[in-house]
Amino acid sequence: MASIRRKVYGLGLFILAKFTGGKKELQIMKNLEISRRKFMGLTLAGGGALATTGSSLFNLTPETAKESSSADYAMIIDTTKCVGCGACVTACTMVNDLPENKSYVQRIVKVDEGKTWFLMMSCQHCANPPCATVCPTNATYIRPDGVVMTDRKLCVGCKYCMYACPYEARVYLREEGVADKCWLCMNRVLQGKDPGCVFACLFGARIFGKTDDPEVSKVLASGKAKPLYPEFGTNPAIVTYIIES
Amino acid sequence: MQEEWGWIIAIYLFLGGLGAGACMVAVFMEFFRKINQCVSSCPVTLVGATLPGPILAIGTLLLIFDLGQGLQKPWLIINLYTHFSSVMTWGTWILTLFIPISMVYGFLEVMDFKSEAWDWLKSRSWIVKMGKFHSFLENFQLKRTKQGIALVSGVLALGVALYTGLLISIVGPAVPFWSTPVIPALPIPILPLLFLTSALSSGLAITVDFVDSVLNHDSHEHMSRLPYYHLAVILVEGLFLGLLLFNANSSGGAAAQSAEAIISGPYSILFWLFVVGLGIIVPAVIHGMQSSRKKRLNDNICLANAVGVLFSSLTMRFVIVAAGIHAIL
Repeated sequence: MASIRRKVYGLGLFILAKFTGGKKELQIMKNLEISRRKFMGLTLAGGGALATTGSSLFNLTPETAKESSSADYAMIIDTTKCVGCGACVTACTMVNDLPENKSYVQRIVKVDEGKTWFLMMSCQHCANPPCATVCPTNATYIRPDGVVMTDRKLCVGCKYCMYACPYEARVYLREEGVADKCWLCMNRVLQGKDPGCVFACLFGARIFGKTDDPEVSKVLASGKAKPLYPEFGTNPAIVTYIIES
Repeated sequence: MQEEWGWIIAIYLFLGGLGAGACMVAVFMEFFRKINQCVSSCPVTLVGATLPGPILAIGTLLLIFDLGQGLQKPWLIINLYTHFSSVMTWGTWILTLFIPISMVYGFLEVMDFKSEAWDWLKSRSWIVKMGKFHSFLENFQLKRTKQGIALVSGVLALGVALYTGLLISIVGPAVPFWSTPVIPALPIPILPLLFLTSALSSGLAITVDFVDSVLNHDSHEHMSRLPYYHLAVILVEGLFLGLLLFNANSSGGAAAQSAEAIISGPYSILFWLFVVGLGIIVPAVIHGMQSSRKKRLNDNICLANAVGVLFSSLTMRFVIVAAGIHAIL
């Protein structure tokens, strides 16, 4: 019953997305091999691009993501290597074409017993994202690979997600009138490049890759990298931190 | 955070509470005829039934202005109906249903209040020409239909009052002050209950107090226990407000910071002077006097008290929204 409802619901959103745009998503899904396989049985190649949007929209609800808490990507931020230079903050602004002084990465200065360290905060890509639960228009959703995305074409700018996100990862863009956030630079990742912040980091404090990547899986298996603030109950799936205790 | 919810959202929350409270008072007066001796054509019911529709419509317009895309791409608002895990979607549905239904209720109440208007409407030539429609109006059971619609709009009004509190208390760990529970062990947020009592308080102020002092009506003559209800609502509101601040203060972290900002920080003057002073102490004294002595109080004092209650209700929303400090990262 739930799956039927989800499909009917997804179809409605698919039609909505056709009218309202959703180009960013379309471009990405075009590049994804997985979804291409998915729609082969569904429709002809001509309508392929739109069908891929549809199939991705079928997986919009946070409920689907809860079923599979593992994500395809992993980003590990090593705070022991981070010097707080802010290169990732600026790189994010440039790569994502954001207005001045706006960035999806936020630098938080922590002082623990006289020792100062830096916590680079951005979207944690939760498996149970409050922003997606709270979003009234479904502009924020989880992709099947675990990345939490925002469709700027669907966002009405109610700012509810900005209050719901405990990591304060949401950035309100006044010009566009939408609240967006880190999308792991999926445009770059799908071209085989690193996200802007990882590319910009000179100190190797950011490790990014697919979870089955040997370098990434080695760090993950060591168990040093932990999700931030698990008490929020958001179950961060992609971003983990190495923090000296 | 640079872009926050501010006065516009606070005014909306206030108008939502005011409209819902007024509607609940009207429905209460409608159904408890035994308590309310004002048998037919009760002006309190009239005011309480006609105001909520326009008030909520203005509030909803404010909400649309506050949206980033409200004026640029208003057609996106249709999507607000689609995502049922969001309390904002529930609110959108409740408002969409409540505004027209309460307007119908107000219309029927006016027709019932002034039967001349109803007769005048039925005798219009363009209505008489529509034979079937005219005979439908002739056989129309005005009172019974009105009571049915009153029940529906009363339930929806309760929904509006509770949802305005639930909307901001649902964000959970992100803004701990808003999700402060009734008892630390019981995870029921206190804000919906506080907003409900505040809605009732401002609803009573705009119906009973305004009607009594402006239209020179005497509700207390028809309803001897009214000051006690009024007093009870205000005392319960004060209790919830105290519980909210006490629990927030004792839970530590960002919630305690929020409570501190209200009790002794930048919002302390607004809070003590307007929220506590005008919203709880002054009305409690006035309604206490009303209940203890039989003589009628000065109309101007009652009117000033009602305006004060409305203002305190608005200020309370603003203080709570503005003091919502994010969890410390």
